[in-house]
Amino acid sequence: MPENIKKDNADNIIVDVKDLNFYYGNYHLLKSVNLYFKKNSVCTLLGPSGCGKSTFLRTLNRMNDYTEGAKLTGEVLINGKNIYDKSVDVVELRRDIGMVFQNPNPFPKSIFDNIAFGLKIHGIKNKDFIVERVEKCLKYSGLYDEVKDKLNKSALSLSGGQQQRLCIARAIATNPSILLMDEPTAYLDPVSTSIILDLINSFKKYYTIIVVSHNVQQSGRISDYSGFFLDGELIEFDEAGAFFTRPKDKRTENFITSRY
Amino acid sequence: MFTLKYKDDLFKFILSVFVLSIILIFSVSVIIVLYYSYPSIIRYGISFLWTKEWNPPKEVFGALTFIAGTFIVTFLALLFAIPFSFGIGIFLQEYCPFFLRGIFTVIVEMLAGIPSVVFGVWGVLTVVPWLRESVEPFFNAHFSNIPFLKVEENIGYGILAASIIVAFMILPIISSITKDSLASVPKLAKDGALAMGATKLDVIKDVSLPYALNGIYGGIILGFGRAVGETIAVVLLIGNQAVVPKSLFSVGYTISSLLANTFTFAVISPIYASAEVELALVLLLTSLIVNIIGRNILNRVIGGRFSRSQFGGG
Repeated sequence: MPENIKKDNADNIIVDVKDLNFYYGNYHLLKSVNLYFKKNSVCTLLGPSGCGKSTFLRTLNRMNDYTEGAKLTGEVLINGKNIYDKSVDVVELRRDIGMVFQNPNPFPKSIFDNIAFGLKIHGIKNKDFIVERVEKCLKYSGLYDEVKDKLNKSALSLSGGQQQRLCIARAIATNPSILLMDEPTAYLDPVSTSIILDLINSFKKYYTIIVVSHNVQQSGRISDYSGFFLDGELIEFDEAGAFFTRPKDKRTENFITSRY
Repeated sequence: MFTLKYKDDLFKFILSVFVLSIILIFSVSVIIVLYYSYPSIIRYGISFLWTKEWNPPKEVFGALTFIAGTFIVTFLALLFAIPFSFGIGIFLQEYCPFFLRGIFTVIVEMLAGIPSVVFGVWGVLTVVPWLRESVEPFFNAHFSNIPFLKVEENIGYGILAASIIVAFMILPIISSITKDSLASVPKLAKDGALAMGATKLDVIKDVSLPYALNGIYGGIILGFGRAVGETIAVVLLIGNQAVVPKSLFSVGYTISSLLANTFTFAVISPIYASAEVELALVLLLTSLIVNIIGRNILNRVIGGRFSRSQFGGG
């Protein structure tokens, strides 16, 4: 078990994963994963396709709950509370955890309604508040100037890069403390990718950000911490500086240096 | 000289022939119906549509009774079937436990395959006595002063019996198409909403149904098509009297049941036959117009929502 970073300041830990195993049918997808994320940091989880990094990310907001045949053991503590505890309301939980997916997936609604969606389903009815919040989120995600005149247009009329930033705006609308991103730039062009990486950097003031990626170079640009997954195991987890320059495990080094 | 592309070209040609055959069949049926209804159109003009009297011996033919019967039955059947179908489709796709979904789906599909005469017979044996012995006396006692709920003859047969059975017949069509449309909603779109803390109901309301609307609409149109043309079950249940229905419990007559009952006699007299073919033309045009209007309404309601792929460019 990699214990490279000392748990120096326990107060600073927002997500603490303890001995997490995930099974899909007979397939042991995540093997005894232990790691933790610190508040207001960006952590990237690297690994080749199929290594379990996306599955791991989805255990953090219980998105695997709907997968038929899935089984999970171990604990995921968020702010000290196990989210797999029976008393946890999964709807409540996800309010505090935003998620951005690999493919931009705006709702078939207007740009405005996409961002207002999270507020509305959580029972916020105050129109002024919603308008203000939508505007703020669009500004945060750098999309405001591009869409301010067409907030009532369908979100599907935006370009792929704009759609992805809209999805980020949507994810932060409910003011979560954690932001999960599953390869958010996988299908974007270099310019859009760059914009989103800059966003991630500027966001860590407000959120704890956990990004799954298979792009080493992009991850290097944004990470405070990095982890490497291989075949469902967490091979290495360290501060980004050490992780990218002096990886301790040979397998991590191979992955980083083969210029994926 | 064949190029390497010739196989593609040949295949494309064969497919085009198939497509052309559809156009041909459609045009030929419209032309035949137009041709045979021509004498009646000329003789009775447009007022054929709102003339009430239908008197073959006197050669007075008006379509109103049958148009009214047809549309009232279709409208009521859709009214009964749509809420149930939506419920069934949504339940099967979104809430049904995995191991039961297959069983229920098969049952719904089997229901769609039951021949309409069986539905009709079942209606005569079950629905008609139930209406006659329970429902009609109840309405007679409590709602007799409300015009369209008035029980005129307490016989069980009539508009309501026919509508209920036609509703049963279109129920499986609309429910299975609702289910299939919901099943085709991209998982990613639903995940997006779930990850924001949406409940299942939120996801259905705000993501799945808007995506599936086009398909569901198609199901309703198919249901309409079946209801408006349904013949044999209606013949058995509607009472077959050429009167404009005034109440839910009135007897009536639909275009298709009239044709089924009388067309073999009608061919003896050219003008009688022509009048009945004109009724068939009305049925045909109705289906076409409903389809076109429906599609236009839907396009206006949802705008260009489906014109781009869900994942956009990028």
